[in-house]
Amino acid sequence: MSMYQVKPIYEGGTKIDLPTCMYKLPNVHEQRASSCFSEHAHQNGEPDSAVRALEARQDEIMRKLFELKAAVDGLAKTVATPDADLDLTVSCSLASPSPTACTFTGTADLDTLLGKDLGALRDIVINANPAQPPLTLLVLHGLLCQRYRVLSAVHVHSSVSGVPPQLLSCLGARLTDGSARNLFQLGFTLIWKDVPKLQMKFSVRNMCPVEGEANVARFLFRLLSPDPSDVGQATLVDSWVDTAFFQLAEGGAKEQAAALRSLNAALGRQPWLTGPELSLADIACYCCAVRSGAAAAAPTHVQRWMKACENLGYFSRAQLQ
Amino acid sequence: MDLRISFAFRCACKCNGKQRVGGGGGGGGGGGGIFGRQPSRMSFEVILNAVPFHHHLAKTPIYSECVCVCVCVCVETDRELVRVQDLTPEMADKVIWLRARVHTSRAKGKQCFLVLRQQQFNVQALVAVGDRASKQMVKFAANINKESIVDVEATLRKVEQKIESCTQQEVELHVEKIFVISQAEARLPLQLEDASRPEGEGDEDGRATVNQDTRLDNRVIDLRTTTSQAIFRLQAGVCMLFRETLTKKDFVEIQTPKIISGPKCKYNVYVDSNTHRHLTEFVGLDIEMAFNYHYHEVIDSITDTMVQIFKGLRDRFQTEIQTVSKQYPSEPFKFLEPTLRLEYTEGVAMLRQAGVEMGDEDDLSTPNEKLLGRLVKEKYDTDFYVLDKYPLSVRPFYTMPDPSNPKYSNSYDMFMRGEEILSGAQRVHDPQLLTERAIHHEIDLEKIKAYIDSFRFGAPPHGGGGIGLERVCMLYLGLHNIRQTSMFPRDPKRLTP
Repeated sequence: MSMYQVKPIYEGGTKIDLPTCMYKLPNVHEQRASSCFSEHAHQNGEPDSAVRALEARQDEIMRKLFELKAAVDGLAKTVATPDADLDLTVSCSLASPSPTACTFTGTADLDTLLGKDLGALRDIVINANPAQPPLTLLVLHGLLCQRYRVLSAVHVHSSVSGVPPQLLSCLGARLTDGSARNLFQLGFTLIWKDVPKLQMKFSVRNMCPVEGEANVARFLFRLLSPDPSDVGQATLVDSWVDTAFFQLAEGGAKEQAAALRSLNAALGRQPWLTGPELSLADIACYCCAVRSGAAAAAPTHVQRWMKACENLGYFSRAQLQ
Repeated sequence: MDLRISFAFRCACKCNGKQRVGGGGGGGGGGGGIFGRQPSRMSFEVILNAVPFHHHLAKTPIYSECVCVCVCVCVETDRELVRVQDLTPEMADKVIWLRARVHTSRAKGKQCFLVLRQQQFNVQALVAVGDRASKQMVKFAANINKESIVDVEATLRKVEQKIESCTQQEVELHVEKIFVISQAEARLPLQLEDASRPEGEGDEDGRATVNQDTRLDNRVIDLRTTTSQAIFRLQAGVCMLFRETLTKKDFVEIQTPKIISGPKCKYNVYVDSNTHRHLTEFVGLDIEMAFNYHYHEVIDSITDTMVQIFKGLRDRFQTEIQTVSKQYPSEPFKFLEPTLRLEYTEGVAMLRQAGVEMGDEDDLSTPNEKLLGRLVKEKYDTDFYVLDKYPLSVRPFYTMPDPSNPKYSNSYDMFMRGEEILSGAQRVHDPQLLTERAIHHEIDLEKIKAYIDSFRFGAPPHGGGGIGLERVCMLYLGLHNIRQTSMFPRDPKRLTP
């Protein structure tokens, strides 16, 4: 028999559920559906069905609005460029069924594409060599300024001793009114630096630097409008961009001539390189043609196309001198 | 007993080297270049009565009569002392006189090799037994203590093989006469070679390096290393560029009082100043200016000044920067023009993205400042940037609040390599508002009455900031302790030398 006995202080034996999982993180792969905003990511659980219905309605309204805007744009194009076909442009944009063939203007879209800003200006930093100014990016900057409130800045890095004045003012006049940086939706900082290849840094924590003018151009264009939903079309745009950068800009005389011939052939059938609408392919080919000086000896269709480009205001950025 | 002793003196009157002050004492001129100017090149011989006189550097008494008479005696000699940096192959086969320090001396049988040093230049000299020199002379040369100052008459000869260890690589001196002007003690508290050795190298080979306290205790010797010379030349460069840039912008230099009455604050702020970046006595360079429309004009002016200083250092002091980086390697300093300006809220957001938890109105702690510096360097590749619009609660009472947001102020900090170098702001120029802010911070108005009164008679909107010369130098070169950039540093534990 035991000497001392004490009544139990607590009722032992209640089972305690110990957690087996130390840290829980949302699924990384599901989270970032980068371009399409119509499909909502399931971040930390299913959103409420009522919310989803509301979002669907909002999307519908936005889509109609954008279609209307595209129609008006098409009309504007006919006024500006005598060669564009009115019926083709307008009817195409009205007929396109998917809501993705439209453009972005709002902060919400930037939030989806680039991640929420948390109070800091979403600053895109581009390091470029002053010996090879990135004309494509200047044109895209012009387009970005039309769509969003962009804070632009040009800096000269200490690795470069002097830069001609037109490179300093290539993004427009410097803002001196001292307005707060976080009132802008997007920052565009161009740094003239001694780099072998053009480089873009955006979110150092999440992204590695993007290298090469073509890739940065693709990144910036996705902020303006999503990739075409038709895979064939998207591939066509990509292939023209590659032609522009590898053959027109960096190729020898023979390659440039060959590229110009294929440009000519494509432009004979339609107003823009990939169809009835302006795309990244046109911007890239135009800028590379201008930079390589091939513009002078271009065939007829190419000349007409270049005039059409120049009629659009933001292309004047590519004329640095 | 008569003695002939050679002296050289720096001229005390402003006769530009034509006249000399006569007097007693056995010292030579400063061959190590601590004060930056070469001593006068003139010397003269004095015949003195023999009275024993103990010179503080020499072990054996020098016999001289101590006469301190400040009489300018015009003595011209026909001896011209050539500088070591001017010894080039063009002067081969000439007989020249030279004054320098003995850097090293090494005897080998019938020859003695000396390395003679003057500031950052050195040259090899040879004393060989022959028709000009006896065996005793070679022995004498070999026994001269290191760091002694000597006068040498020698023939300059070209060498077939370059002498890698000297700055004057293509020539050599064949010594005919050698005199000791100022003798150094045989045992030096530290060896210059050890003081110039980079830290890592010392540990690897088992050779000694000199730690900081020893250096500072024997600063006169430590300042003779080429690295120290380079650091202080660069510091002088910063000062010069600061003056140059501001004079170009039509600023006027003034000397301010160094001793002022201080307000007694309720919250006594104690900064731990016994750290790697604080000195109790330092050189501050301040800028104050009135602006027209927005205090950003002040920021632009200050950052432009700093950028001009950096550019001037990059373009004109590259040799000094390379010399320092041999002993203290670091990344070269990078900056953008115009200077990058971020807002405080942006800085906080960047820190939060990196995982730091802090409130909107918290001040930045030193580790956070360093982390932010690294984040900015990663994204923009600049070591120098401005953080604008600090919260009002962490700034002094005379800072102008932000008109559009009362929680923030029109104040800014500038950072180099993640460490703060300047704290500035738009100042409150309205005496009413200033009084309110002082009361809010519970400051005794009587103590600052003079300061408030100065604004009662029409003061323009103005702002400014101040930098520490030593800190700017230290951060530009990537050094790790501010005592390296201060010639004779003063801190809570050090009052001498």
